[in-house]
Amino acid sequence: MTSRLRDAIDRRAIADGVPLFLPAIPFGFVLGLAIVEGEMPLAIGWLSSPIIFAGAAQLAVVTLAGTASIWAVVVAGLVINTRHVMYSAAMAPAFQRQPRWMRWVGPYFLIDQVFALAVLQTDRPPAEFRRYYLSVGIFFALNWQWAVALGMVVGPVVPEGWRLDYAPAVMFLCLVVLGVQRRPQAVAAVVGGVVGLAAAGLQDRLGILVGAVAGVAAGAYAEHRNESRTPAQVAS
Amino acid sequence: MNPWSALAIVLMVGAMTYGMRAVVIVALADRVIPQPVERALRSVGPAVLAALAVNLAAGGEGGGVDITVAEVAALLVAGGVAWWRRHMLVALLAGMVTLWVLSAIT
Repeated sequence: MTSRLRDAIDRRAIADGVPLFLPAIPFGFVLGLAIVEGEMPLAIGWLSSPIIFAGAAQLAVVTLAGTASIWAVVVAGLVINTRHVMYSAAMAPAFQRQPRWMRWVGPYFLIDQVFALAVLQTDRPPAEFRRYYLSVGIFFALNWQWAVALGMVVGPVVPEGWRLDYAPAVMFLCLVVLGVQRRPQAVAAVVGGVVGLAAAGLQDRLGILVGAVAGVAAGAYAEHRNESRTPAQVAS
Repeated sequence: MNPWSALAIVLMVGAMTYGMRAVVIVALADRVIPQPVERALRSVGPAVLAALAVNLAAGGEGGGVDITVAEVAALLVAGGVAWWRRHMLVALLAGMVTLWVLSAIT
């Protein structure tokens, strides 16, 4: 059984996953702390890891729960995860060659890091791709659980003066900066941040949604301008 | 917080997150996402996370903006270091150290 399991694991996938998982450990740690500091019952806060399995959305949900209406929390979590529709679209051709069970199971593991690694492997034969994808996906899914649990255990021991309650805000800002690859995304982030700040006084953390909608609209407009300008620049 | 409300939130977000990851793979594999929708999707991540960061930082629970100089400086330093080093852990540490030092001084 053990040797069969060993054969089923793609070691290269694990080797590829380790460097991407290391930066996720402090993220899981901050999330664990946020669960302890937040108003959700601890067990349910931790269950967000296996059930939602998306760090930024989990952080938003456990931080906002109890301070905003249920629907505001759900919408915030979902809006953060809408980028996964793009991942799904990008991976769809590779999954067309997979058995039906894999098309249903695979999407559960489609987090940022798994997408980043697996999208480079889509030219492999279907069985090899499946082995790689599931190896790296299960690697991240299992390790994520203990990273969050560790944060929950160590969190209460950390003195209040360390201001770890402020860490989620800093981490979200870092995620924004690291996630911006192109100018329209920078426009979306700046407009989202500025409008979100201007609307921060709104009840129920509605300012997040107002800022997000403004940012997405500005980003889409910037994308449109970018695309319509590019041919002229090429011609000149 | 009521455990059932908390569980409902986690289950709803979990189910819909899975749905968003699965939707094209399972259901729409042969269709193309319309250009305007794809354009908007590309901006969703940065826009939401930026709005969320400032809202959490400014304490946006309806009580007006409440943020200290040390907190603003922590965000600026973390953002700058993230841009410069492209490393999450280094940027987070830089922001938190800034917060600790300035909070101790002021």
